[in-house]
Amino acid sequence: MNKPNTPISALKIPKIAIIGNPNVGKSTIFNQLTGLNQKIGNYPGVTVDKKIGVMNYQGNTYEIIDLPGTYSLNPNSEDEIIANRVLNQSNEAEKPEFVLMVIDSSQLSRGLFLATQLMDLGLSLAIVLNMADISAKRNITIKTFEIFKALRVPILSTDARGEKGLDQIRELIHTRNFSKKGDFIAIEEVVPITLLDEFQTKFQLPNHYQAYQMLRFGRVDKIISQEDRDWIKAKLEELNFDLEAAQLEETKIRYKKITKIVELAVVKELTVKKKKYSIDQIFLHPIFGYLIFAAILLVMFQAIFAWASVPMDLIDGFFAELSGRVNNYLPSGPLANLISEGLIPGIGGVVIFIPQIAMLFGFLAILEDTGYMSRVVFLMDRWMRPYGLHGKSVVPLISGVACAIPAVMAARNIGNWKEKIITIMVTPLMSCSARLPVYVILIGLVVPDKTIGVINLQALTLLGLYFLGILGVLGTAFLLKNILKTTEKSFLMVELPSYRAPRWLDVLLTMYSKSKTFVLEAGKIILAISVVLWVLASYGPSNRMDEIRTEGEIKLATATNPMQVDEIEAETSSLLLENSFMGIMGRGIEPVIRPLGYDWKIGIALIASFAAREVFVSTIATIYSIGGDPEDDLTIRQKLNQQIRPNGEKVYNTATAFSLMVFYAFAMQCMSTIAVVYRETKGWKWPLIQTAYMTGLAYLSAFLVYQILS
Amino acid sequence: MLKTADQISVTQTVIIKEIIDSPLKLNLMELGFLPGKSITLRHSAPMGGPMAFQLDETILALRKNEASLIKVQLL
Repeated sequence: MNKPNTPISALKIPKIAIIGNPNVGKSTIFNQLTGLNQKIGNYPGVTVDKKIGVMNYQGNTYEIIDLPGTYSLNPNSEDEIIANRVLNQSNEAEKPEFVLMVIDSSQLSRGLFLATQLMDLGLSLAIVLNMADISAKRNITIKTFEIFKALRVPILSTDARGEKGLDQIRELIHTRNFSKKGDFIAIEEVVPITLLDEFQTKFQLPNHYQAYQMLRFGRVDKIISQEDRDWIKAKLEELNFDLEAAQLEETKIRYKKITKIVELAVVKELTVKKKKYSIDQIFLHPIFGYLIFAAILLVMFQAIFAWASVPMDLIDGFFAELSGRVNNYLPSGPLANLISEGLIPGIGGVVIFIPQIAMLFGFLAILEDTGYMSRVVFLMDRWMRPYGLHGKSVVPLISGVACAIPAVMAARNIGNWKEKIITIMVTPLMSCSARLPVYVILIGLVVPDKTIGVINLQALTLLGLYFLGILGVLGTAFLLKNILKTTEKSFLMVELPSYRAPRWLDVLLTMYSKSKTFVLEAGKIILAISVVLWVLASYGPSNRMDEIRTEGEIKLATATNPMQVDEIEAETSSLLLENSFMGIMGRGIEPVIRPLGYDWKIGIALIASFAAREVFVSTIATIYSIGGDPEDDLTIRQKLNQQIRPNGEKVYNTATAFSLMVFYAFAMQCMSTIAVVYRETKGWKWPLIQTAYMTGLAYLSAFLVYQILS
Repeated sequence: MLKTADQISVTQTVIIKEIIDSPLKLNLMELGFLPGKSITLRHSAPMGGPMAFQLDETILALRKNEASLIKVQLL
């Protein structure tokens, strides 16, 4: 055992990794030890979040690493690759000194499976037997001493859901009460010793089990150099070594030894087994199960729509106010314009998403924490699979109805690469709330507000557009299922944990960290694009822009009443937009969009609303110099109705309006989604393919709609 | 009588005989689906959806496909 009084250089902060099976309360311990002192980063080459926190205790500082929940250190998924990479690296400066293994006391053997693998790696280990409360309820008593006798590593029994036990964990870390025992099983029994020796020498590893880990992960962890990977592959081929058989054998030997320990350590009280009534008989019921799920979703989205709109309006108002004040305060000029019209609204455009992101993830954290989420996966998997999706895809897809940004972020915990990519690719096709203003204006324009029977035509059209989105999702998913190739096998093995009350600290921290990640990582891209779009819309190539401004000012000077002022201002901004770079681009794309029934003014709105779909409405308002409140649907509608083509036809006839609605149903038209897909897929490949595909699909569909209707 | 776990009915308890060789064998064994263990089918999602088995103190959901890799002995 490490002596507690080992002198440690003041500069070196001890690193402690927390590891455990999924659903054992590992993250709760991490959250309670570190609070808000958390940092989320990236591990190179994978999409797993790197969670690091700082714990301060009795004047000392400790770095705590929260590793992803895994059942083993076998190379099954990115989670295991990361756990192995962190625990097994040769870089001593990065390597955690101590490992805290969290075991759910009602799942002792499964926990010990991972714990003993850690022992074999030769790590300094301590075990926390968590959830003593739940096992007590199940009439299980655990004789901790029996486990200690067998493993010889420090064991702590706690209930991390209450404060009890947490101080013990802090104290354990503080006194460095970890122990390096080594060799629970002899890996030499399943792998030839010569092979192990060769790996150990080649990679300069301290023991045979680490050599064995190198042998297994060498083929899958991209952080290992190509040269070494080739060497490992050649070695395994040369010896014709059956790795799979060895892994199965290791698993058997390990479990056999563990079973003996568990038999001694666990005492189950033999009470009369009463038939316990399980709440899952309703929650997983073939009919009621789905009804309850639908009801929960309904409540969730109602709440998000109702509650998020309040802070969103406040944020909107705040940034508009700030922009106005800065404009008044700074001497007018390009810099003042950049700050007040480019940067501030750009930042506002990032911040505005926080309420929705925080709320959606708050709800998701509650569903996850109570144990309901894996029931959703259980219920929905069968309906998702035909489209190449996973039961876990349900949450991102349904969240897409509110906003694709948190929805794409929610695809994070789909383990299978192909299923995750398909989910991310199709989620933005769900009709999000930003499409609604566009739909409402256009439907109001061309669909009569008539009721046939009990069905209102306008409502029917809106419903149709939502179904169009779902159709797009299923069709695209099906297409991708047949295109994307993967060697990874799709499977579902998910624990349905016991129901329990949500841990509010964890819920709050999830809301906080998801919002922070979005602002820091996707925010940069959104801000950059919005500044570019602003420059395009406010500057033009010629001095025509200045002329327009001067003319406008001259006219303003002659204005006699406020009505006239509004009119002149609206006219000036319309002229400015027409002559800006964006206006020129709008004219430039006119030949391309004419077959869809759009003129160059709509072209400008299409380019401007690349930032976000709802920008279509405000841009249209500017182009047609609609003064007054641009949010007022009625004024916009009247104005649009008056727009006439050179041949005397209305610009916004039925064909054009429907073509536009279909275009907005499918087109990407949301830079924030692109930014978040970039962040979640760790590269530009998928967001670019997605944008091209969605724009192409939108163009083709809008073309067909216009040609058929006109 | 030998069957595979996807063929048993809800509330039925069986003993695992062996796990059929496949790339998922290791995943199943890691989770504790080991020969000699008894499992009980607790829930089954409609239309050939996933199945939830009780193994010791936990409930684990598997697709029919994965359950068919578990050879079981009826009690």
